[in-house]
Amino acid sequence: MSYAYLFKYIIIGDTGVGKSCLLLQFTDKRFQPVHDLTIGVEFGARMITIDSKQIKLQIWDTAGQEAFRSITRSYYRGAAGALLVYDITRRETFNHLTTWLDDARQHSNSNMVIMLIGNKSDLESRREVKKEEGEAFAREHGLVFMETSAKTAANVEEAFINTAKEIYEKIQEGVFDINNEANGIKIGPQHSPTNPSLPGSGSSGGSQGSGCC
Amino acid sequence: MEYFRSGLKSVLGSSTPGNQPTGAEIVERLVSRVSTSTLLEDRRDACRALKALSKKYRLEVGAQGLDVLKQVLELDRSDCEIIGYCLDTLCNITSKETFEEENENNINMNVNVGEQFTEMFLKNTDNVTLILSFLEEYDFRVRWPAVRLMTSLVSSKPKDVQDIILVSPMGVSKLMDLLLENREVIRNDAVLLLTNLTKSNANMQKIVAFENAFDRLFDIIKDEGRTDGGIVVEDCLLLMLNLLKNNNSNINFFHEGAYLQKIPPMFELPSNLEEIGWSPQKISNFLCVLQLIRTVVSPNNSAQIITACQKTIRNTNLLEALSNILMASGVPADILTETINAVGEVIRGNLTNQEYFANVLAPSNPPRPAIVVLLMSMVNEKQPFPLRCAVLYCFECFLFKNEIGQELVVQTLLPSNSGMSNLSMGQILCSGLFSNDHLSIWFSAVALSHCLIENPAQKEQLLRVLLATSLGAQPISLLQQSAVFLQHTSKLQAKLGIMMLLAQWMSYSPEAVRVFLNVPGSMAFLTAQTSASEFDNNEELLQGLCAFLMGLCVLYNDNSIQNYSKENLSQLIEKRVGIDTYCKKLVEISRHEVYAKAAKQPQIKAKHSSELLLEFEFCKLLKSLEGVIIQALGVQRELSNGMSELSLNEHENALLLQYKELIRDQDKKLQDMQKSINNLQKINHTLEAQMKELQDTNTQLTDQNTLLKAQLAVNPSVVTNGPIQVDSPVQHSNESVLLEKIKILEQEKSEAENELNRVRKDQDDLLELMTDQDSKLNNFKQRLRELGETIEDDDSDVENNSEGAENES
Ligand SMILES: Nc1nc2c(ncn2[C@@H]2O[C@H](COP(=O)(O)OP(=O)(O)OP(=O)(O)O)[C@@H](O)[C@H]2O)c(=O)[nH]1
Ligand SMILES: [Mg+2]
Repeated sequence: MSYAYLFKYIIIGDTGVGKSCLLLQFTDKRFQPVHDLTIGVEFGARMITIDSKQIKLQIWDTAGQEAFRSITRSYYRGAAGALLVYDITRRETFNHLTTWLDDARQHSNSNMVIMLIGNKSDLESRREVKKEEGEAFAREHGLVFMETSAKTAANVEEAFINTAKEIYEKIQEGVFDINNEANGIKIGPQHSPTNPSLPGSGSSGGSQGSGCC
Repeated sequence: MEYFRSGLKSVLGSSTPGNQPTGAEIVERLVSRVSTSTLLEDRRDACRALKALSKKYRLEVGAQGLDVLKQVLELDRSDCEIIGYCLDTLCNITSKETFEEENENNINMNVNVGEQFTEMFLKNTDNVTLILSFLEEYDFRVRWPAVRLMTSLVSSKPKDVQDIILVSPMGVSKLMDLLLENREVIRNDAVLLLTNLTKSNANMQKIVAFENAFDRLFDIIKDEGRTDGGIVVEDCLLLMLNLLKNNNSNINFFHEGAYLQKIPPMFELPSNLEEIGWSPQKISNFLCVLQLIRTVVSPNNSAQIITACQKTIRNTNLLEALSNILMASGVPADILTETINAVGEVIRGNLTNQEYFANVLAPSNPPRPAIVVLLMSMVNEKQPFPLRCAVLYCFECFLFKNEIGQELVVQTLLPSNSGMSNLSMGQILCSGLFSNDHLSIWFSAVALSHCLIENPAQKEQLLRVLLATSLGAQPISLLQQSAVFLQHTSKLQAKLGIMMLLAQWMSYSPEAVRVFLNVPGSMAFLTAQTSASEFDNNEELLQGLCAFLMGLCVLYNDNSIQNYSKENLSQLIEKRVGIDTYCKKLVEISRHEVYAKAAKQPQIKAKHSSELLLEFEFCKLLKSLEGVIIQALGVQRELSNGMSELSLNEHENALLLQYKELIRDQDKKLQDMQKSINNLQKINHTLEAQMKELQDTNTQLTDQNTLLKAQLAVNPSVVTNGPIQVDSPVQHSNESVLLEKIKILEQEKSEAENELNRVRKDQDDLLELMTDQDSKLNNFKQRLRELGETIEDDDSDVENNSEGAENES
């Protein structure tokens, strides 16, 4: 129940790319085959462990439809991490990434960790965007990149957890001001705010659990 | 007043004595001073004076000063004093309330001036953004009036302001920062502002929650002494309620964010509570906390959330705290009632919590289960009505999806257990069932019926329950006694209660039906009621329920009683009541407003005891079986008609085929026409909506027009010639644009009306055509029937069929 840190995430990207499905797969380990258009935003949460510390993820899944764009903007500032999702079977969702990224950069705090996600990797036969293109885009804009499938659950855990690891490392490096809640980070109830890096002792803490990538 | 004048003089320069300027003139001069003065000092003084006049001469200040005030807000924003005056002035002119000073002025206007000015102000969304930016100014003279101005705007036009704030980035953040204010007035007003802003707007609620509202509010509540705190605690709780009600996403967040854990300390009752008593504020605060709990476990929420919250509430000992309040002494009735409701919803459908509750003991001597004590107050006429309703609801929640609980209650009535204390749950309910208080009868019957829901075993067990009647007489079974009682009681409420019990009991249970049918007179009673024609005052509910019970007797009949076999009962209904009448009476129930009210939510909601007639679970049962019964009766009839295509000769068969073809054709035509009617209705609908919109715009324009005219009336000096000419060219062109618009709109409106009439006429024609076709169809059917063909029924020709049947017999 209790946690060392709490991170706030948002999930953004065009409508239909699978944002809600990614969240559902992550929180409930289920897949929802019918497109249930998100109206506004929906909330989800889960506990994960990094570096043997409990970390609570609070995730806001936003609506991709244009009409909700301005509402979505209200969530950028308070988030520590963002999953920016496109659909590998629909090139236009990839083409829109720059717009999303500009929007995110403009409205969020500068330390927000952004994870680029090419979703629906199970639909190889209908692929329109090569994996290399995703990688190149991520490299160019300084993002972390992954291909996932909300349907088969491939890489879904990793996407959420690796984002958390990045944030965690930034905390260890002292980049984030953890006492400012507006950054989307909270310290757990019984963890002293004065020595956040005590048990992991510096950078070694971050690398410990990150063998997978 | 004299002080006022002298103050004004210094601003305006002294006017010649004996020639007092009118209010409008003063305002005009002030406005021009604000817009033309090059000295900040002068502008500031003029603004101060405008503020002072903005109540009494609100119309003038608003009409002439709005633009200038906005200009000052933009250009003089570095001077907190002048900004403060401007904001205050805007606050006054956009206010919803009517000021005393205003009435002195004797302008009887039927338009709401404040709302009109609000609307004008909101026309330009930048204005709101501007006010939002003033919230960031720390100076008290700016920040506080900015909050109040926002509040004023929101209360007149909530939707408009919500929409503007939603699209202005950081808009909500700025408002949220106000909750950290250490100047209490501002902070408290901000709570109220946020409450108004989040009303019925899920998106706003979610953003506010995302911006850490719950943390902020719990901090304030804690600082203010929790439930012992003042009205600000209540306001904070109301804001939380606003954020959570019907908002599954926020409830999920509330739960995941471990905010429920912050509630138990609020329930700590001071040990000397009995001496100090409950202040009205404490009662209000407490009620809000109870509502907060109910909101997260409300039966309206998604099942997943309810279960999760119920579990947390138990694990954080909140359920325990609630139970303690239930059993504490000196708790005000309001709080007790709401606590009972809360306990109910916390345990509803959750076995662990239900078990916990079953084991709560009241501190009586000897200790009794809390449920028993509660049931005793349910059947006690002296207890307040809302409390008795709450107990029933709580008891229903205890039994909901709880086979063990249901068994526990029924068990206390079984022969092997009689002789035990006569204060068991079952015994209290039985004595309530046959008491003299018809409300107690209703409560007890409904309570007992909940022991039987979806539980065949308990339906059977309850049949074994015997009641000792008068000394020496044969004991009589509970069901028999209920059926006999039903025939003899005259109170509608009692009758309905008993019938709902019987309905739950007899549904899906042939044994119960058999026992019921064996009670002398019960069928006769039902038949007589169902076929009775005249009814007054809710009597149709009684007749409908009788019809329903009859239907259950047909549906769950194992044919073990010769006289009342399925077939005999069906014939009885047909001959004595008539299928049409029967169906009409049956479906009457679910069309009744009493039904609609009861079926809305599980909680028993009534202001007065006489409103308690139907109950939620019964409504569900009725809805699920109504159709089945009607179908069963139809099937039964066809079997006894005994006609089939086999008995026709070849010629007749050919004829029959022809007719079938014809009917199919006509059916298709009928469908097509129905479709086109639907289409026309849709078009009609859109047109009507459009017309409404036009009318609305029209009214708005007329209002604005009135307002402008009024401004002219109070300010005649600016009229040169003609009624609608105003000195300002902007206003002038506005006016003519508006007139132009009105003209266009009126024209559009009359066009729309013409269109509407045309469509209506078309629709009428089609309806006529359809009736025509319908009667042709019926003729053909009749002819078919004369040829001895059975025709598949559908709803539309039940009537004809039964006519045919009657002709035959
Ligand atoms: N095959 C496959 N289908 C997926 C995958 N993820 C999502 N989908 C499907 O894509 C459709 C859209 O998914 P959602 O998660 O509702 O899309 P969204 O991004 O939340 O859309 P908005 O709420 O409108 O912004 C649904 O029909 C999903 O079943 C995936 O990994 N593989
Ligand atoms: Mg979605």
